[in-house]
Amino acid sequence: MANPIELIPLLVVVFLLVGVQGGAVESMEIVTDGTHTVTEIPDVYVVGGGESTIPANASVSGSVYVIGGTADVQGTVDGDVTQLSGNLTLGPTAVVTGDTQYIAGSLDIDDGATLESLTTAETLAAQSSSPGRGAVFVVLQTVVLAVAAGLLVRRFEFAFDTVGRAITGHPVVSGVVGLLVTATTLALVVFMAMTIILIPVSILGVGVGALTVAYGHLVYGYLVGRRLPIDRPDVSAAVGVVVVAIALELLGVVPVVGTLVQLALVVVSLGAILVTYFGLRPFEPVSLPT
Amino acid sequence: MNLVSAVRRGDWQVVFGYAFFVALLTGGYYYNVTFVQLGLLDLGTRLVGLSEAAVSGWMATLALVTLATAIAFGVSMDRRGWSSSLDAKLRILLGVVVAQVLLTAAAPFVRTAPQFGAWIILASVSMGVGFPATFALTIDFVAVRDRGAVAAAATALTYFLANVYPLNWQVESFSRVVVAAMLPGVVLLGVLVFRPPAFVGRLSRHHEQFGVGRFCHSGPVSVREAAFVAPLVLMFGVFFVDSLGFLRILDTPSLVLTSWQSPDFSMHLTLGVVHVVGAVMAGVLYTSFDRRVLFLAAFGLFSFTHLLYTFDIRVAMWFPSLTTGPSSPLNPAFYAVAVSFYTTLNFALWPDLSTPDTIGTHSAIGIGLAGFLSTFLSTALALYFQSTSVTLLDHLNLVNALALLLFVGLVVGTYLGRMHTLWEGRNGEPN
Repeated sequence: MANPIELIPLLVVVFLLVGVQGGAVESMEIVTDGTHTVTEIPDVYVVGGGESTIPANASVSGSVYVIGGTADVQGTVDGDVTQLSGNLTLGPTAVVTGDTQYIAGSLDIDDGATLESLTTAETLAAQSSSPGRGAVFVVLQTVVLAVAAGLLVRRFEFAFDTVGRAITGHPVVSGVVGLLVTATTLALVVFMAMTIILIPVSILGVGVGALTVAYGHLVYGYLVGRRLPIDRPDVSAAVGVVVVAIALELLGVVPVVGTLVQLALVVVSLGAILVTYFGLRPFEPVSLPT
Repeated sequence: MNLVSAVRRGDWQVVFGYAFFVALLTGGYYYNVTFVQLGLLDLGTRLVGLSEAAVSGWMATLALVTLATAIAFGVSMDRRGWSSSLDAKLRILLGVVVAQVLLTAAAPFVRTAPQFGAWIILASVSMGVGFPATFALTIDFVAVRDRGAVAAAATALTYFLANVYPLNWQVESFSRVVVAAMLPGVVLLGVLVFRPPAFVGRLSRHHEQFGVGRFCHSGPVSVREAAFVAPLVLMFGVFFVDSLGFLRILDTPSLVLTSWQSPDFSMHLTLGVVHVVGAVMAGVLYTSFDRRVLFLAAFGLFSFTHLLYTFDIRVAMWFPSLTTGPSSPLNPAFYAVAVSFYTTLNFALWPDLSTPDTIGTHSAIGIGLAGFLSTFLSTALALYFQSTSVTLLDHLNLVNALALLLFVGLVVGTYLGRMHTLWEGRNGEPN
């Protein structure tokens, strides 16, 4: 039987993957229990539980996702096969014309199976964990952020100043607002994705969130830059962004505490951005009698 | 914070006032959320042998009698000047706590319906007298700027304790815990009343400085004004939404056995910690923003929580095999945050809408109508739903719709209010 705690997040991942690839999620079929002999599938077929078999004499056209249960492919899949969990068997007569992607779960490939290409988590990890590749990515990301900081500070320094004041003057309030909004928004994005119809809104939300986090990074850069002996605010902000990026990388090396500090910085900056309406209005807490 | 500066100065008399008030509020609310809300159901059904509907009927009676007593007593407190007399309030509370200790100790021995009814009436009267007197102590012990933090501390402590102990929702367990917790309170109150230390005299003059609430600085707020009625209606809505939804969740084993009644202690600990986090967040927001933000957050969180619950139920309908696994811990966690938010607001709001001359009446009306009347009505509605076999999904869907309606209503109301202000300002300008 499928476990919803494991299955629902994987389903969301499938929805997002299908949505990003421009697939037709509305014609998706999800199987969560029982035994099925599959001779025809819609554009997307998800095995979440039970046992699905594509027999040797069958040819199905569409993408197959395995996120639970067992999928036994003996026939032809004219499309991609992606395994995120569960059990996948590609038998001696199996043919996959698209890409076979293995992320996690139990995979058994017979020597006689014909696969157009096979991507495994190990190959992906090897690609992404290459030190040179990682360093290039970080440098590129930092350069882009530094340039963005320089350009934006030149034009909207008041906004950076306003958000910066909220971060330094009201870190607790900013942190609370950031935490509240982050927790609810993350859950909301996941649940919107699960409605299928709101996947585009969900993806848009993730994009806006990422941009807001990047804005927070720039504001930290601006704050650090102000303390550097550089007169021009745009240049100092750009240099500050580089300093912050290095500091964040170093923090990432420290186990647990480093990650918690990174998260706290993100949450505080998000809150500060929100309470200042992205820097358009200074944040002033209500006035209370002494 | 005044409390922080008192600690720095080593002014332990003021610190005692804060600690005493938090302990009193925590004790009173713990009694309410455990013994009254959960223990009485067990007492009525298991020991007395009444049906759940009959016990719910008695609970509704309890809510109404408490409401009536509270309003009558709160008004009397203000008229007789007891609201601004620390000595009078401590004497009243000593009487209430002694009565509640006796009632609580006697509860597990109740065996017949008339005994149960008499117990309910006596408990209602003691609560109706107790809560306006407790809330009126705010003006003696807590500075206005610290009320959010103190409310958060009481909320965090209450819900943390209620979640981690006792795990067994039986009246005998509740009775033992509550009596043990109240006895030191009786001794302390007895000392403060009959052998008052010198500093009690100093604390009794604090109301001159702390008495005027945060929302009364531009003038006292009357119960007929929108400034009082609007938060009253909103707080009524929050209590109603919470109570109506929680009654059904409590009645659904698959939901309650994986959360509030889980055999796994780590689940209780998690919920307790989430309550603490929620209360701290609410305290910070109350101190930094307008009260509307907290109402919006509470309604938004309730809407979201019930959206999660109804979503899970729909998923279970679409994929029946999924119902065999454990339910999501996210739902009760968000529920806990929402409850902590509005409880914190409830603790701080009524004293902040009052002065020393009105705190008895305002607390009684605020908590009585918003808390007890809403509980009465939501219980009645839940019973009606039960009798008409309304499904779990339909029930929670309705709660969700109510929460969303209140959320949107508040947003629209706030916006229209600003428009009205702008319109008035424009019309007031010379042409």
